[in-house]
Amino acid sequence: MIEISHLTKRYGATTVLDDVSFRAPAGRVTGFLGPNGAGKSTTMRVLCGLATASAGTATVGGHRLRDLPNPGRVVGVLLDASAQHAGRSGREVLTLSARLMGLPAARVRDCLALVGLTDAEADARTRTYSLGMRQRLGLAHALLGQPQVLVLDEPANGLDPAGIRWMRDLLRRFADDGGTVLLSSHLLREVEAVADDLVLIGRGRVLAQGSTTELLSAPGTEVRSADDGALARALLGAGHEVRPLDGGGLGTSADAEAVGRAALAQQVVLLDLRPARSAGIEDLFFTLTAGSAREEAAA
Amino acid sequence: MTALSTTPAPGIPWTRLVRVELRKQLDTRAGRWLLGLVVAVDIALMSLLLWAGEPGALGWAGLTEAASAGQLLLLPLIGVLAATSEWSQRTALTTFVLEPRRTRVHGAKAAAAGVLALVVMVATVAAAALANLVGGALRDGAGPWQLEWAFLGGNLLGLLLLVLQGLAFGLALLSTPAAIVAYLALPTAWTLVGSLVPALRTPAEWLDMSGPMTQLMAGTTSGGDWARLATSTALWVGVPLAIGLWRTARRDVA
Repeated sequence: MIEISHLTKRYGATTVLDDVSFRAPAGRVTGFLGPNGAGKSTTMRVLCGLATASAGTATVGGHRLRDLPNPGRVVGVLLDASAQHAGRSGREVLTLSARLMGLPAARVRDCLALVGLTDAEADARTRTYSLGMRQRLGLAHALLGQPQVLVLDEPANGLDPAGIRWMRDLLRRFADDGGTVLLSSHLLREVEAVADDLVLIGRGRVLAQGSTTELLSAPGTEVRSADDGALARALLGAGHEVRPLDGGGLGTSADAEAVGRAALAQQVVLLDLRPARSAGIEDLFFTLTAGSAREEAAA
Repeated sequence: MTALSTTPAPGIPWTRLVRVELRKQLDTRAGRWLLGLVVAVDIALMSLLLWAGEPGALGWAGLTEAASAGQLLLLPLIGVLAATSEWSQRTALTTFVLEPRRTRVHGAKAAAAGVLALVVMVATVAAAALANLVGGALRDGAGPWQLEWAFLGGNLLGLLLLVLQGLAFGLALLSTPAAIVAYLALPTAWTLVGSLVPALRTPAEWLDMSGPMTQLMAGTTSGGDWARLATSTALWVGVPLAIGLWRTARRDVA
């Protein structure tokens, strides 16, 4: 389990992280969402012991990563797929880390096969790799030490649609086997499809967090009836909020029972009654980050 | 959470760390080219001496001295690259996650570069012996087989100090071109300044490595020379090393 607790990071007068707290529990995929410069990468770097926080803690299973004797066996990390020595082959990159962690050479072959890098690709220098191949190599590197926790910064970046689906399945299986996954992304659809929990961050502050379903289900219902005007007046009279929907019908804060009772009292025939359409993670994302997004991200 | 705390993975042993760092110094094109160049320059210099040298200059010691020029010039650059490539190639991002004790990693880099220097030195002495045999066959009899321990030990220590200096400049500057230029130019510039400015002549004696290093490698260091070697090494190896270790210990990796 990952626990970020009151994390604050300042560079001089600039506050990059401002009292960030959240948990990524075991057995679940936690999506870490935010526009560029929101503090996702900084949070992950502090978690991985690569940056020092001004205040607060970031721990895995109760330990700071810096205090673990062989961290690669506990946490698999992919922070930047481009951060590989251009002159080494993919296989050499994995071999170095496997030796350092004390893993058998077979583990390198297994991980290369797992991410679908062929022998010829593995023997080519990483200078020649496409971004998608770098991401696959980075994932192989993260999985190398058979960790219980994965920390992945924008892992879907540069993957083709088949690759994105493959990665989604891989992360799902990893979490279903009891692993902890923290993945950051600005690819909203991708996170919606795979994350059990969401943490939204903007300008160094956590803006919202909770389970994906909880965050995405809007309160209230949507209703169509034979006489929307009469029904709207009844619902307003009962103290509920009502707004007209684009394609006809009403959106209201009232639940299904309240709508049903209002319709019964007014003797209006209901044609359609359903829970309010989920706001969509994109709406949520833009609503929550509109005030804190950088201009180019908001454009 | 409990699974994590009940199964503490064993730490990374020192020898394993050194072996991996040694491999990292030789598994890139730059590393292999530098080592290849060391071998090529050493062989070329020995051949030159065999072909053109005065018969009196031949001999095991003379050939070893000639052949050492390649590694004295180029091996420290492997030390520079070992330090800087982590940051210029951004592999620090994985290196310091797998072993967060950064000073320990840098110690392993120094040890690995030292092992490499030792191996190259042994190979050079062996190659010089071979060249002496060849020289005996081609010219009028083999040169003297005399090889002083002071000469051998001085050469090895000198090479180790230069490689450590390369690593130290790399750690202090964290940029390959800047570190190489500084490593090559600064000590020479200082030697020049020390010899041109009369007021600096006395302090330069204590703070210039080139004089004590020449004595060390000739095997003629004695008495106060050791003190001058120590003070100048403290300035040119110790200071950049301390700056580098301090700078990298807590630096944020981007």
